[in-house]
Amino acid sequence: MTDTVAESIQELDQAQVLRTAAGTRRRRYLAVVLGWIVFIGLWWLLSLWVGSEARLPSPGRVFQEIVVILQGDFWTQFWASIVRVVAGFFAAVLIGTPVGYFMGRSKYWGNFLQSPVIVAGSIPGLTYAVMAFVVFGISFWGPVLAVGLIAMPYVAINVAEGVRGVDRRLVEMSTAYGRNERQVFRHVTVPSVLPFVFAGVRLSFSLAWKVGTLTEVFGSSKGIGFQIRRNYQLFNMPAVIAWVLLFVLFMLLIERFILVRAEKRLFRWRQWERDR
Amino acid sequence: MAAMGAGQMTAGTVALPEAPTPPGPFRRWMTSPIGAQVTAAVVFIGAWQLLTLIAPRVPGPVEVVNFLFVEITGGSHGGIVRGQFFEHFAITLQRFSLGLFLGFVSGLLVGILIGSSTLARALLNDTVLVLLTMPAFVWAFLTTMWFGITWQAPVLTVAFASFPFVAINVAQGVRAIAPELKHMSTAFEVGRSKQFRHLIVPAVAGYIFAGLRFAIIVGWNGILLSEWFSGQAGVGFRTRYWFDANRYRGFVGWVIVFIVFIVVVDRVILNRLQKRAFYWRDASEADFIEIEEQQVGL
Repeated sequence: MTDTVAESIQELDQAQVLRTAAGTRRRRYLAVVLGWIVFIGLWWLLSLWVGSEARLPSPGRVFQEIVVILQGDFWTQFWASIVRVVAGFFAAVLIGTPVGYFMGRSKYWGNFLQSPVIVAGSIPGLTYAVMAFVVFGISFWGPVLAVGLIAMPYVAINVAEGVRGVDRRLVEMSTAYGRNERQVFRHVTVPSVLPFVFAGVRLSFSLAWKVGTLTEVFGSSKGIGFQIRRNYQLFNMPAVIAWVLLFVLFMLLIERFILVRAEKRLFRWRQWERDR
Repeated sequence: MAAMGAGQMTAGTVALPEAPTPPGPFRRWMTSPIGAQVTAAVVFIGAWQLLTLIAPRVPGPVEVVNFLFVEITGGSHGGIVRGQFFEHFAITLQRFSLGLFLGFVSGLLVGILIGSSTLARALLNDTVLVLLTMPAFVWAFLTTMWFGITWQAPVLTVAFASFPFVAINVAQGVRAIAPELKHMSTAFEVGRSKQFRHLIVPAVAGYIFAGLRFAIIVGWNGILLSEWFSGQAGVGFRTRYWFDANRYRGFVGWVIVFIVFIVVVDRVILNRLQKRAFYWRDASEADFIEIEEQQVGL
């Protein structure tokens, strides 16, 4: 009897908690929307005060421009950038994974490669962009090279960490049961290092996109970076801001809907391990 | 593997397969961490030199060092231009520190706001995220369109580029203050100033420092871009000057200068300082990596 009473009280409490939680959530959404309204309102007031479209166009004017771009060559331009950046990431993984593997496997190579990787990781993006332009001129491969170079250290460092973290006991057990080195590599090392490759890509994701677009500013006839530069040279401020906002939106959407989910999937086993 | 590294440099002396004898002092040095790093540097310079043999347009290490010597000592570059290292470097440092100051202070204020109030967080968080996602060259373009080729453009580029990184870090730090400790110190009537000194400052200091590091890295990239696109002086401008003049040794020389600057400031000075200042924290480096993961990914 007392048990059921206690239970019902508990249930009541839970319902209360849930209701207040929903209330807080609703209030938070409201505040987020309010935040956007305040942001756009301030922008609008500022644009009125500046009073020049070439300096600061109003939000409405930029929105018009966004619509024009969306109806026009939005997808061709974005697709051009996406293909290059993805190819660049492939290059980064292709080079970074073996580098990281050696760094994690042997102490000597860890020391040998440490400084180069750290220095490569702190080189300003401008360097890579200009270098890619010098090597390839106006071409498809410039941004690929730049993205590959900027993302490589991140992939390498993460893979090294992953290789160092491979479960020793698992390796020992596999050897004890007579698995050869290749089998251990294929079924123990690779699966446990793979998420770290992804982590490297994920960490360098926004940086690499930024450098990729920067490279398009220098040496490209297509892509988001090229569009931003073209409109900058035409002094077309609304179009510059419109392209930048589309870029930001695109990045945030990829971040929220693809990367976060992929990460959750890939690292599910880790969560499981933590729960255990 | 170690033998391979040793063999790379001294193919003539220890190339013979000397199996069971204990390694000599030279060999031991070669396989030590310092030896490995020195070997890496030597291999890098050797590869660079080799590259100049294949592609003659690439300036070699000697050429670049000569250039830098002339540029730094203010000598004459072939009788046309004088070396102007310190002039440009000083100008860039001035603008950089001013922009960093602006970005840091505003980031600190907004970060404290976002971290301490749920309403402020809901209001401002998305704006900060948008700013975080904007590439620095966009700020270089926008500030140039607003201010023309002036000193304000690079200063504001640095400020805009570094602001969101400071804000996000500080907000995270403020939110990381342990509520139990806060409740406890309030319950035991610890004074506000004492709470601030012993609870809030130690909890947030690491995050502020991490934010500063990001601000420096991002801001340095920003000022180079801004000066490259619209400077009439400064490191970025000078780099572009040699690039446009088709003197790649000048370009490479200045690239080395700005890379060395950021590596020394970030990895050598700030990283050590951080380790020493926050050694008492259980996992300050791990925290930093965690923070890094959370926002570099954005």
